[in-house]
Amino acid sequence: MHPRLARLLLPAALLGLAASACAAPGAPAGSTTENRSWSQITGQAKGQTVDLWMYGGDQQGNAYVDDVLTPAAAKLGVTLRRVPVADTKDAMTRILAERQAGSQDGTVDLVWVNGDNFATGKQADAWLCGWSSQLPNIKFVAPDDVLVTQDFGARVDGCEAPWHKAQFTLVYNSARVATPPTSMSGVLQWAKDHPGRFTYPAPPDFTGSVFVREVLYSTSGGYAKIPSKFDQGAYDKLTPKLWDALKHVAPSLWRQGRTYPRDSVALDRLYADGEVDMTMTYGPATLTKLVADGTFSATTRVLPLDEGTIGNASFLAIPSSAGDPEGAMVVANLALSPAQQALKADPGTWGQFTVLDTHLLSHSDRARFDNLPASRVVPPYDVLSRNANPELASSWVHPLDEGWRRAVLGSGS
Amino acid sequence: MLLILAVTGTALAAVVATSLGLLPLVGQPRLSIAGFTSLSGDLRAATQESLLTAAAATVLAAVIGLTIATLVGRAGRGVRLVIGLAAAVVTVPHLVGAAATGLLLSDVGLAQRWSGVSAASWPELVGGRWPWATVLELAWKESAFVALVVTVSVGRQYADLREVSAVLGAPPRAQWRRVLLPLSAPALASSSLIVFVYSLGTYEVARLLGRAYPEPLPVMAYRLFTDIDVAARPQAAATAVVATGLALLVAVIGLPLVRRLGADR
Amino acid sequence: MSSQTPVRRRAEHHPHNTVIPAVLVLWLVIPLTPLLLWAGASRWSGTARLPQIFGLRGWQEALDSGVIAALLRSALLGVAVALIATPLGVMAGRALGWRLVRRPALPSVVLLGPVVLAPFAVAMGLDVVILRLGVPGELTVVLVLSVFALPYTTFTMRATYLGLDPALEEQARVLGASSRQARRCVTLPAAATGLVTATGLAFLVGWSDYAVTLLIGGGQIVTAPMLIGSAAAGSGNDALTSILAISASLPPLVALAVFTYAASRRRTAAHT
Repeated sequence: MHPRLARLLLPAALLGLAASACAAPGAPAGSTTENRSWSQITGQAKGQTVDLWMYGGDQQGNAYVDDVLTPAAAKLGVTLRRVPVADTKDAMTRILAERQAGSQDGTVDLVWVNGDNFATGKQADAWLCGWSSQLPNIKFVAPDDVLVTQDFGARVDGCEAPWHKAQFTLVYNSARVATPPTSMSGVLQWAKDHPGRFTYPAPPDFTGSVFVREVLYSTSGGYAKIPSKFDQGAYDKLTPKLWDALKHVAPSLWRQGRTYPRDSVALDRLYADGEVDMTMTYGPATLTKLVADGTFSATTRVLPLDEGTIGNASFLAIPSSAGDPEGAMVVANLALSPAQQALKADPGTWGQFTVLDTHLLSHSDRARFDNLPASRVVPPYDVLSRNANPELASSWVHPLDEGWRRAVLGSGS
Repeated sequence: MLLILAVTGTALAAVVATSLGLLPLVGQPRLSIAGFTSLSGDLRAATQESLLTAAAATVLAAVIGLTIATLVGRAGRGVRLVIGLAAAVVTVPHLVGAAATGLLLSDVGLAQRWSGVSAASWPELVGGRWPWATVLELAWKESAFVALVVTVSVGRQYADLREVSAVLGAPPRAQWRRVLLPLSAPALASSSLIVFVYSLGTYEVARLLGRAYPEPLPVMAYRLFTDIDVAARPQAAATAVVATGLALLVAVIGLPLVRRLGADR
Repeated sequence: MSSQTPVRRRAEHHPHNTVIPAVLVLWLVIPLTPLLLWAGASRWSGTARLPQIFGLRGWQEALDSGVIAALLRSALLGVAVALIATPLGVMAGRALGWRLVRRPALPSVVLLGPVVLAPFAVAMGLDVVILRLGVPGELTVVLVLSVFALPYTTFTMRATYLGLDPALEEQARVLGASSRQARRCVTLPAAATGLVTATGLAFLVGWSDYAVTLLIGGGQIVTAPMLIGSAAAGSGNDALTSILAISASLPPLVALAVFTYAASRRRTAAHT
């Protein structure tokens, strides 16, 4: 073959190779653990190295996995390797590429996901399913707990094991906010009364996106008024009020709403620097450390809302392309054990709320949770989750994020 | 050469195919230009933002880089320090540079705290109407890159030629214009071209320091690529194709110019 | 060297000669000051001008995050990339700089390709193709990064060769050297600074990459940029991020300083 022709054809040939795999994804989808017993799985897991991909920006989380979970996994014969990523979406990119390439020996064995990444993976059929319902420690999770059977409106279907619970939380500086508002409409009113002292991250940032949904709940008269699956009619009926409320408050926001912080880290910095008086988070566990190390002011407090806020859980999922799925299951089961959940719930360790129902535990295990030290900033989960609202289905997220960009973002400048 | 062609050709082909809907993650491949048309307004704004940022950063980087190189060529006091610092700056990743620039230039950043300007009258450098902070960060790091490349390529030749011209009685300004400028032109032009093309494609700086809308092409591509809905991927790829096409266009226009500068001597 | 003295003296009299270096030093240093300050801060709350408590909290966190092993992996990756990209860059730069190819436009456009594509290419399709090929991740990381480093090495070497006279090599051959000897003993020493810069730039491509190492390497090589990226993505990590960034900048600098010192020693030795 003429050498130049060969050069031109090489990329084409490589691409063809890729396309042949992409056109018909199907082979590894929906794989399940069939009917292996748990002891068979633990046997196969021995000697495996599990690559756990997780967001690495939380030092306490990193330390918990490295110093507590990894040694415990080693006792079960499983080597746990933490792969720190800047964003869980990096892990999703790798998983989806492995899925597209039809890999069976992928390098992501376990990944810490929240609802939107889980939904993305489900859309692409990229998760191993049917395994988490077979974990021995799942018996300590209440079977009727919606937070762990549904993730962002998608049925969990045994495709991921719950890890911890989270609650969307507004945070304020009590030295600056004398009489904190008690409802979402009150928060918006407070923002109007205090120009430049409030803002929220721009969707599609995860936290900003939740905030917009919280406001939607408020302007629609409660979550019960919104169909949980996306519905164009409901969207057309409910969102004009939402955009009105947000456009109305925009001129009173930080920088007159001409721009928004790009993500929750940027908002946290504005709050830490005293540029705004409120911030928000979907992971209140981090607040204890942020106050302790001086990043946030010591007068930082959590702002409870009368109507409650959105709660959810985050999970450990196994991609269908995982190379060491049995080891990953063993780690997920270990992470769900009462001992690990109690250690993780200690605010000095990580402070993540347990997904277990403590009523299902033995006396001694329950005592572990009862004896946990209290955080000086974050109230206990049952206080934080009072009147907790369910999440909307993930099918709502994209239309709301896009709608916000068109209706609210353009209007500020 | 073959290796570059294989890697970039494949990547480019894959991006184009994705943008045309031929490599969907779910569903059947179908040829469509919807990825491009559905976003044309945003694409135009993003293209503008990208070109503006890249052009400003390149001009600044080239001017400052050349100044540093001139200084180094003169071999005066503090030259070692300057060239050492330039090398230090080249080793700092853009992500870190952007984070540091943010700490420095934000509304209550270190610059505001130390300068004593009140927070209210501090200009909106980070995330404001104009991409000041993005341009400054790119110019900062890339000026060091330009300075190193120019210094290296001019090297001892300049010292020798300058001595000759000084002996012949040329004033410093003429030395600079007649000796350094022509000597450094090829390196300056090719490094500026790299800076421009790189600035068009860079993602992390504008994401950290820019505003939410309009955003440069790479930021937009990344946002769409990581959308919760994988159906947005063709749009992301379309954005990437526009960015790549733009950069290639600049390269095709710029390269003959770079070559001519090299041929002048 | 003595003939340079009058030139230098005249230059020092020029008033710009202290102002401009000072401004340039500031331009290069100021953006780094937040990093240096944060690296020594244990607590820096609110909008204080300086940290409230100086200390080494962040250094402990950095050690806990495994920075030393990550730096070693980064160094290995950088060296591997430099070993591949530098010789190729020398060859390509020589051909382009001395116009040994008939149509230099095409290779130049191709060479800019990786710069044009770098950020997008990896995630949007290249990773799938590489996965399909089934080549081990570590090897492909090195290869792909070498491709991304090639424009830098080639353009540096092209500029260097442009400044060198091809006649020099010819003269050596007239005097009886083989073409290989001529290249090795005459041209390469003259191009030494360029060669070092090219090597350094190639090393930095491998040393500081995030996306290729993670997405193509599949997380098997956890390098310093991955630690920096994930630390920068969290709130309250300013001290840690600064320290990781500084510890990732120091080794290349030390290498450069050692090289400069050695080079100046050699030059002085040659003169005496």
